[in-house]
Amino acid sequence: MAQVERGRAQFKSSCGFCHADDATGNRAPDLIRSALLSHDVNGDLVGPVIKNGRPDKDMPAFPTLSDKIISDMVAFLHKQAYDALNSTSVPNDYPLKKLLTGNAADGKAYFNGAGGCSGCHSPAGDLAGLAKRYRPIELQQRFLYPSHGVKITATVTLADGRKIEGRVVHDDEFEISITGPDGWYKSWQRAEVKSVEIHDPMTAHRALMEKYTDKDIHNLFAFLVTLQ
Amino acid sequence: MKILFAMLLAFADDGLDPAKLLTPPTDTWPTYNGDYSGRRYSTLAQINQSNVGELTVAWMAQLRTVAIKSTPLVVNGVMYLTTPDNVFALDARSGRTIWHYFRESQGDHIGQRGVGMYKDWLYFETPDCHLISLNAKDGTVRWDIELADPKLGYFATMAPLIIKDHVLVGVSGDVTDVPGFIDSIDPVNGKKQWRWYTAPKPGEPGSETWPPGTDAISHAGGMAWITGTYDAESNLTYWGIGNPQPVLNGDGRKGDNLYSCSIVALDPDTGKLKWHFQPSPHDTHDWDAVQTPVLFDDVKNGVRRKLLAQGSRNGYFVVLDRTTGENIFTKPFIATNWSSGIDAHGQPRPKKEKEPTPDGVLVSPGSDGATNWMAPSYDPNTGLFFLSARRLWSVFYMTAEGKAEGWAGRDRNLWAQSVLEGIDTKTGEIRWTHEIGEGENVAGMLTTAGKLLFAQDNSDNLMALDPATGKTLWHVNAGGRMVTSPMTYELDGRQYLLTPIQNVILAWALPKSRD
Repeated sequence: MAQVERGRAQFKSSCGFCHADDATGNRAPDLIRSALLSHDVNGDLVGPVIKNGRPDKDMPAFPTLSDKIISDMVAFLHKQAYDALNSTSVPNDYPLKKLLTGNAADGKAYFNGAGGCSGCHSPAGDLAGLAKRYRPIELQQRFLYPSHGVKITATVTLADGRKIEGRVVHDDEFEISITGPDGWYKSWQRAEVKSVEIHDPMTAHRALMEKYTDKDIHNLFAFLVTLQ
Repeated sequence: MKILFAMLLAFADDGLDPAKLLTPPTDTWPTYNGDYSGRRYSTLAQINQSNVGELTVAWMAQLRTVAIKSTPLVVNGVMYLTTPDNVFALDARSGRTIWHYFRESQGDHIGQRGVGMYKDWLYFETPDCHLISLNAKDGTVRWDIELADPKLGYFATMAPLIIKDHVLVGVSGDVTDVPGFIDSIDPVNGKKQWRWYTAPKPGEPGSETWPPGTDAISHAGGMAWITGTYDAESNLTYWGIGNPQPVLNGDGRKGDNLYSCSIVALDPDTGKLKWHFQPSPHDTHDWDAVQTPVLFDDVKNGVRRKLLAQGSRNGYFVVLDRTTGENIFTKPFIATNWSSGIDAHGQPRPKKEKEPTPDGVLVSPGSDGATNWMAPSYDPNTGLFFLSARRLWSVFYMTAEGKAEGWAGRDRNLWAQSVLEGIDTKTGEIRWTHEIGEGENVAGMLTTAGKLLFAQDNSDNLMALDPATGKTLWHVNAGGRMVTSPMTYELDGRQYLLTPIQNVILAWALPKSRD
């Protein structure tokens, strides 16, 4: 990384005026999108261009730059291209300050009021220390839809009227299977049983998605990060 | 002697004449969608509503490969299917491998959707963006050309479309800001006949939808990565075009960004653009409009209409006049929250406030779309269009600082509910909705004259539905996901239904009579 940082500084002073400090182009082309850089390996293509310039395109030569400086600049360019290539995901260490645009007091009011969150959750209870348990981006994802560790149960009423309740293992159009109170797996064809009643605690979270404004989400997030 | 002569003739005619693609017989599935219309409707009716419950496994083939995402072709009793780097020829009566072609390559191996066939030759795209022509009889290589430079971020997945003496191909790639195109290649020698770039050049019509004086238009993206369709009568080929670049950040490309996220009609002989329609102007959510443009006719007020329909990834069902590109109607096929409404041209306009932001915005659908590459189907008997759709919620983050390049952000999925839908092509009304479970369904569909719609739910159940009502008529747990589309063909008087499940091919048929 030190090499990349040295390269960044060198690039800025030697090339930034035309190619922009971040190499994305100004009066001269964007180098991150250049085919030359895509084919370059350790400066084998880019190095000679820096040294010799491109007289046909009015790019000056830099014959006095040392091999080490050129190598640093090439490392910087490859890092910039790598970052663009890898901008296809939101990293788990995404910074809190980018997410923290809401108002915690408004978020608290939403939690206790319009959001209906306090019907199931408590800041001093199940949510105590919430913000310590998750990284900021994970916290935002999980409060919107906590997809892991949620217990969905079902009450299956058999043809003879017996009711069996348990945690849902599988549920589709044709089958229902649960882990019964005795810990044993049981399954039925849906057509064979009288009724199946699913108890899904995520129903409220799904309903909220239809109601949230983005402001509500950012306010709620600002409130939840205070639960340290 | 007479018999021998007839046999010799039959052997001499083993290839696929492109003229046959215009009226495909029932014993073949000669192109990605079965025929040029993109309907994935078969006139076969041996398997039908009265006997679908008797379906049994005719044969299985377990290929030593990754999940099959291709639609197999069947020509003269031989089946051709692919996975990235691999082409297999199987006996369509038994599933036994006849030959296997393998070519190791660099590049994104996300999927391979099948081969195209012209006479005795196959056409196959590779992860490193080569187009390879094979001899169909033994899998030997005839020629091998590079369509695009994989080092620039291109890769290839699609099944080529053969129209007359043209092999039409597109490529993929949206991690870098590279231009998309459709190429027409000579089937005999691999020479390029024409290339149509999916963005105009500065100064050309459409270039006004890009900011002037910047490099945005030359880094426009817009990949054509799903096989197009073709109307021989008007000699137009129809293609869906992918997202603009950078993917999630539109600040550097203000405007509608033609022809990204568009449906285009091209002359297959010249590559000239006849018309375009853009379902997702100025896309900032990766909603490629590559979904199959399905062709069908109807009659309204006594007038025959030549139509084209697309269930677009952004959640809107679009019906166009396929001769002129004029919008007949645009209707949502599922609830979304990103559009401020449909304008006078039939285009859903995006809300500025639902563009990705650093602190995240809640958008439905997510970048995976309200539908995606899964093949839709159209049934001429009911006039319904069938779509695998989903209500999908996602949070979009714009992560880039400075000039955006590549994706410049991404969304994170929250929750999805998948449904199959039967959409009335006259009105856009959803006639029926069949829930198929949480998560994202990726199985394609097939309808037949047996009044059956074949699909799969999110619990691995293969299903036959009544196309008119969406009611389940048959199901079986296939033990894995179908990540391609079902297809069907008839050989020796027996109809086969083919359902690749991961790397296992299941061929279904009715039991052979016992006498």
